[in-house]
Amino acid sequence: MIVSTRWLSKYIDLPETLEELVQTLTFTGIEVEAIQEISALPETVVTARILNSEKIPGTEHLQVCIIDYGKEPLQVVCGAPNCRSGLITAFAQVGSKLPEMEIKKTIIHSVESAGMLCSEKELGISDNHSGIIELPPETPVGISINEIYELPDNILELEITPNRPDLLGYIGIARDLAASLNKRLKLPSINNYPGEEDSSLHLTLILQEPQKCPRYTARIIDGISVKESPLWLKNALIKSGLRPINNIVDITNYVMLETGQPLHAFDYHKLLPINQEDPHPAIIVRRAKAAEEFIALDGNKYLLDEEDLVIADGQRPSALAGIIGGKDTAISNHTTTIVLESANFSPSTIRKSSLRHKISTDSSYRFERHLSPAYLEMVSNRALELIINVAGGRVCNELYDAYPVPQKPLFLAVRPSRFEELIGYKLDASLINNYLQSLGFQYILCGLWQKEPINEYKLLPQAMELDLETSDNQIFFENPQLALYFLVPSYRVDITREADIIEELARLDGFDKIPQKKLIHPIMDWHAHHIKRKIEDYFRQSGFYEMINPSFIDPIKLEYLGEDKAELEKKLIRIVNPQSSNQSAMRTTMLPQLLDNLLYNLNHSERNLKLMEMGKLYWKDGNKNCETLHLTALMTGLNNLDHWKVKNEPIDLYNVKGVIEGLLDQLSITIDETKNVHHPWLVESDNLAYFCNNHLCASFGRLKAKTAERFNIDIITLKQDIWVLDFKVNTLIELTRTNKIEFSPLPKFPAVIRDISFLINFSVPYADIVKSIKLVEPYLIQDVKIFDEYRGKGVPDGWHSISLHIILQDYEKTLTEERVGQVIDSVIKMLENTWQIKMR
Amino acid sequence: MIDDQLKNIAEQAKIDLKECLNQNDILNIRAKYLGKKSLVNSLYSQLRNLPEEERPSFGKKVNELRNELERMIDEKEKELKLQIVNAYDSVQANDLTLPGVYFPPGSLHPLTIIRRKMEDIFISLGFQIAEGPDIEDEYHNFDALNTPEDHPSRNLADTFYLDNGYLLRTQTSTVQVRTMESYPPPIYIISPGRCYRNDKPDPSHSPVFHQVEGLVVDKGISMADLKDTLQFFAKAMFGPEVKSRIRPHFFPFTEPSAEMDISCVSCQGKGCRICKNSGWLELAGAGMVDPSVLEMMGIDDQIYNGYAFGIGIERIAMLKYNIPDMRILYENDVRMLRQFSRELI
Repeated sequence: MIVSTRWLSKYIDLPETLEELVQTLTFTGIEVEAIQEISALPETVVTARILNSEKIPGTEHLQVCIIDYGKEPLQVVCGAPNCRSGLITAFAQVGSKLPEMEIKKTIIHSVESAGMLCSEKELGISDNHSGIIELPPETPVGISINEIYELPDNILELEITPNRPDLLGYIGIARDLAASLNKRLKLPSINNYPGEEDSSLHLTLILQEPQKCPRYTARIIDGISVKESPLWLKNALIKSGLRPINNIVDITNYVMLETGQPLHAFDYHKLLPINQEDPHPAIIVRRAKAAEEFIALDGNKYLLDEEDLVIADGQRPSALAGIIGGKDTAISNHTTTIVLESANFSPSTIRKSSLRHKISTDSSYRFERHLSPAYLEMVSNRALELIINVAGGRVCNELYDAYPVPQKPLFLAVRPSRFEELIGYKLDASLINNYLQSLGFQYILCGLWQKEPINEYKLLPQAMELDLETSDNQIFFENPQLALYFLVPSYRVDITREADIIEELARLDGFDKIPQKKLIHPIMDWHAHHIKRKIEDYFRQSGFYEMINPSFIDPIKLEYLGEDKAELEKKLIRIVNPQSSNQSAMRTTMLPQLLDNLLYNLNHSERNLKLMEMGKLYWKDGNKNCETLHLTALMTGLNNLDHWKVKNEPIDLYNVKGVIEGLLDQLSITIDETKNVHHPWLVESDNLAYFCNNHLCASFGRLKAKTAERFNIDIITLKQDIWVLDFKVNTLIELTRTNKIEFSPLPKFPAVIRDISFLINFSVPYADIVKSIKLVEPYLIQDVKIFDEYRGKGVPDGWHSISLHIILQDYEKTLTEERVGQVIDSVIKMLENTWQIKMR
Repeated sequence: MIDDQLKNIAEQAKIDLKECLNQNDILNIRAKYLGKKSLVNSLYSQLRNLPEEERPSFGKKVNELRNELERMIDEKEKELKLQIVNAYDSVQANDLTLPGVYFPPGSLHPLTIIRRKMEDIFISLGFQIAEGPDIEDEYHNFDALNTPEDHPSRNLADTFYLDNGYLLRTQTSTVQVRTMESYPPPIYIISPGRCYRNDKPDPSHSPVFHQVEGLVVDKGISMADLKDTLQFFAKAMFGPEVKSRIRPHFFPFTEPSAEMDISCVSCQGKGCRICKNSGWLELAGAGMVDPSVLEMMGIDDQIYNGYAFGIGIERIAMLKYNIPDMRILYENDVRMLRQFSRELI
């Protein structure tokens, strides 16, 4: 629903600011989807009368005009085709700043022009640029155009949920706002039109399908003159997104926007009687006949069937009920007498026909959402008033009204105690009453609650003596079954149960009033929880067995590792009452225990072992006790378990690196530095520590045979390396705490892969090669991957052959063969210059 | 003569196509007969040398030949493709009984598996995980938990003390204390972790063991909620047929205190070696948080109350997996661990 705040303000005093209005609408449950502000024009744009206009000789259409704008008459040059003496139009005085220009005094064809007569487009009001604005002759001169066009204004696009058809009209929206803001709803006063008896202008109304059309009303108005609508009416429709057509059609649309109830007007004299000799035309609400043809207002011919409901005259369909009118009976400029339809149709009938014939109109949109038949006469009267004001004419005869089964009243009970149960706080009975009254509910009585809705007044329970304004609310909580009975307004077709009423109350009182009863604190470190589980799963999936060892250690074993005794003394926490000396301190490393685990399992004929433990290490730092989460792992033996098809290789340096780098990659940790670790138990050459932002994340190394020996493991006889892996889990958790995965748009152009192979001195680190290649074209070279490495026959001593995939990707355009060639050439040149490689 | 020439080309093409074996041959044949320097193209160049009046009929014939050749080559190509596809789709000589290749995973320790299961069960009930240090002070381990100065559990024979005056927590209730110190109610937490008691290792004891403790502090919490929660846990862990009961017991920090039993998972309550013929297995210690514990934490025991429980992870693992001796869990024998690689968690 598109709503002009100016129009809306006819029915309710709006909040001071647009922000407040939007806020109120949003929290009343009406979502504001878009806001368009139409700003005011300068006050120097005013109405003016063209006193005299004369063609400028030697020009095709330029005229020199003398205009009266309430002050001294001025001379203005105008080129509009509709510029003529007597016309009242918009005049922008010199100095006016219009949306696209500033008005200056100019000379056109040697004629002085002191201002400009404007079209709507020039003023930024609409796209109409066919001529200058034509205002009604009675318009006073010298008044601001803002007044004429009701500017400034704001156009709001509101999302009306399908359960609220009553909000598909200005009054409905104003009513909700009034209830929410505790303001008065200002309804237009509506007169009754008894109608003059005119036997020559009667109508035969036959309602054949009361299921599909619960109520049909019609009024006859004679002596109208169909013409263009007055400015206010056109403006109102345009601002709400409708196109003005003529005064009669525009009024039916205006009233629909105002009340939510669609109307339709037929040309009385084009409606046919049932029999030719009948003096009066007929309106028959009936099913269409099979394959009955109907030409609609849109000019299309529709083939109807028996499921369609039509408004027919004596002979043929005049409208597809509630959806679209017919061409034959449409209002034209010659129409003098009209039949005004105000009717109600069942939602399913309208929905099915609308779908079947693929016609959706403002009218069908509303009927599909279920309107109430109760207000048809009122809406009809509202339209009559406007028609008589705008198009003249007189109302003939009484209202034709076919309403075989009038809608029953609906009484619902709401318990204040139930409101508290459902919403979480107490709402005063008097407030409940106020809110519901302002929504149009009528308070009936206070009595014991009854679940079933009541349709007859006499079935209501006995009333209790209670004055809502003065009563103590406590009574409703002492007797939770005590309820307030209300008559539900018939336009609120969505309200059928107590819960619906409670929803209204909670919404109007504001969801921000709902207390946050339990403030559950975020105690848990979810991130740590997920990282720990991910690590556990990673190692399990990589073939590791998890060890769980006690937190105690034998201090001697730390010396076996070669740790400095004095350093140990500083950090070791000793147990005063250990069960034995080999469990007399808190562990500062898990390595000795894992080596014991390894030995145990080797002794049980398990040769290929991947063991890990994630657990706490404990030490003291002065007076402080420290506990951090750590992961230590051992790898030895063959990498794969025995399989007939897979070549079994012993675990080597790169398998171990793979475990570490795989986990760091899985955790999205980017390593920016690697260097050697100097642990006394690791072989000097084969070890490495990984750093990120100067934080040690992980390290690995090959265990010295000498160290293993102290733990009774004979590496030499065993003939397999033992690799030690270490992870600072706490650091991994902290480094990843703010990580997030973000989708990046998929490249529109294919990636290109080029392979290069070359010989290079063995002393050049692979990492340096990759880094330098990426730097050649950082935006194109997305990745560099090694796919082969070879030393030996055909390769000089101290050299090796490296084969790389170079992956290029341009996110902007397709990579041409030529461009790829250039990049690869520069890469090769760079490699040759830097490391004197030899291409293969 | 020209007709013969055309005929020869067509004949030759037929022979070539007959000998054609693969896609590559097709490409060559196409080039030979229809390409830029092909036989057909050379015929077109002869066109120029012909007298004007013969050109149309010659052109027509060459075109016909060209179309015919194209048709023949296309047909052969299709036939070849079909052969390849048929060959691809035909039966292969594989021994389907030879084992497939898959990289076997390792296994988490059963204690980790059980811990994770327990965490998930309680998270599903709205509990959060809280953790705390293993190394504790006497206040958090005893005083704040209403354990009197002279309580036997404070003995050296029961509790490990450290050389710097601290001790190793004897239960993870310490985390409950620390949580109540930091957060006002409502509190719904579990605290899994290591605990230490100076017990000699035997089939049912270990100086280091693992616990999951739970704590709830909120308005309107009763012993009925505790019973419900423990029963939900028991069924989630051991299956819907498991029965549970609570019976009176004593703990310093709960009042009333209870122990929770479940029907024996081995004999379903009929009585067996595992349940020592009682039909019931002790599973957890529990109770309503002692008012003095709440008071010490600054929580008004007239507004709030709560319950707490403690469950041994080793105990659950032994019952669930039918492990007869707790020490097996600490041997870290991969032959034992391998049995758990198929666990669901």
